[in-house]
Amino acid sequence: MTGPPPIEVRGLRKVFRQTTTGQSVVAIDRLDLAIAPREVVAIVGQTGCGKSTFFDLMIGLEAPSEGLIHIGDKSPHADFDLFRGRIATVFQQDRLLPWRSALDNARLPLELIGLPEKEQRERALTWLNRLGLGQFTNAYPHELSGGMRQRVAIARAFAVEPDILLADEAFGHLDEVTAAELRDTFLKLARECGSTAILITHQLEEAIGVGDRIVVFGKSAKLLADIHVADWPKSKYRLLREAIQSTLQSNRPDPRLTQAANARSSPRKRGPGKKGSTSGR
Amino acid sequence: MPHEELRESVPVLTFPRQTLVSLLVFAIVWETLSHLAPYLGIPPFAIPSFVRIARSFTTITPIDIAVTLARVIAALLVSFVLGLALAMAMYRSDSLDKYLHPMIRLLMAVPVVSWILFAVLWFPGVEFRIGFVLVVVCGPVFLIDTLDAMRGVPRDLRHMMQSFRPTTWQFFLKLMLPAIVPTIFTSWKVNISLAIRVVTIAELVGAVTGIGHQLSVAQELFSVADVFAWTLVLVALLFLLEAMVARAEARVLRWRA
Repeated sequence: MTGPPPIEVRGLRKVFRQTTTGQSVVAIDRLDLAIAPREVVAIVGQTGCGKSTFFDLMIGLEAPSEGLIHIGDKSPHADFDLFRGRIATVFQQDRLLPWRSALDNARLPLELIGLPEKEQRERALTWLNRLGLGQFTNAYPHELSGGMRQRVAIARAFAVEPDILLADEAFGHLDEVTAAELRDTFLKLARECGSTAILITHQLEEAIGVGDRIVVFGKSAKLLADIHVADWPKSKYRLLREAIQSTLQSNRPDPRLTQAANARSSPRKRGPGKKGSTSGR
Repeated sequence: MPHEELRESVPVLTFPRQTLVSLLVFAIVWETLSHLAPYLGIPPFAIPSFVRIARSFTTITPIDIAVTLARVIAALLVSFVLGLALAMAMYRSDSLDKYLHPMIRLLMAVPVVSWILFAVLWFPGVEFRIGFVLVVVCGPVFLIDTLDAMRGVPRDLRHMMQSFRPTTWQFFLKLMLPAIVPTIFTSWKVNISLAIRVVTIAELVGAVTGIGHQLSVAQELFSVADVFAWTLVLVALLFLLEAMVARAEARVLRWRA
């Protein structure tokens, strides 16, 4: 098994032109980031900081204005079709097709990659069962609760057994108990699958609870902090939370985060821009 | 199962009491007028009694009904396929849309009678004339309806679908087509009613078969009873086609709450 390829983001810039005013808006300004295979990275940032633009660039639906995103040595935008079945997404809303049953929704990406129908069915059923929806495979989305629908969306993403899983505020709209439960399931399955997972969130608890790393975006996706959660003992999670919050509020790295990053990089003689490590938790 | 309940509850061929009452009142008024006509100075043939109309029903020729029905169904199918194909092309290409849209709007503004006259002047074959008129009238309705429906497919769903990297064909087949099915059914219902009316006018001019032709014969014979009978056949045909579409709609869209 080869495993997922590393992700490299270098000098990434994305500029949009506003249709009404014609003015240019810099959504992402010179972002450098490296993500190692199988890493679980949470990206946090305030609303409008460029998280969703980064998400679209990672999927390959948008082209960078400058710089590059490479997955392995390929671009998710320029080599769009090469990534069919290798990148899967879970969105904030479930985005299930209302005319398809849970089973048919879960097997949608398998149809797109052209698997034989029997295999599509078996794989979709397996994932629905793993997500506790074995009794609801024939139910239509409107017959399911919000949490169940999101489970179907997760099953749909995992069904292709992707190299890279992207989740954009995937649990933010659910109640706290359901969200926590789904987060755990998502994380467990991502680790079992050996996928690289990138979760975009504005909830710090979620980021700390899920990610191997937390990447903090400031305005225009400026990289304010790159935190390896393993460096922080559980007893200091509250401190970590405060430091991230202060970073987001001031749009400047909090000294507590800088100290932790320095302490990490010194003994290992890492360069300041080198962030692509895996960290077991 | 909720779906079964939904399917059963669709009122496809049911007549509520109010409908029956209003039809009955109309029939009574008509029958009374037919008897009073000579005393009111109205020619007796103008308001025939139901006995006379019933006699006209015995002269109804099924072949004419079948011919009209075949013309309507064939023309609707051609219109639908052309309309859908063009809508897909216009959805994909903004420039094609910009060039074609004004022309489609122009076509839709032309009165049916003008199309019939154009058809008579341009084409020698009767069947082609009728087919042309039906397609040129119904095709743009299918096109505009499906194009609008495609544009109305939620951005979230298009975004989700694109994230899984479908081919262009898969994108249409798995997302756009199922998403616009409700509009397609509505469009069919509108066009069936339109086609029945248009085919009658088209058959009145130059056709030697079909319900329109029989109406023309009835007019030449001053037989209001025959006109009434053939009109009732047309209305029944329209209801039957609409009921078939409604039944198919209830079946296909059973996923809807």
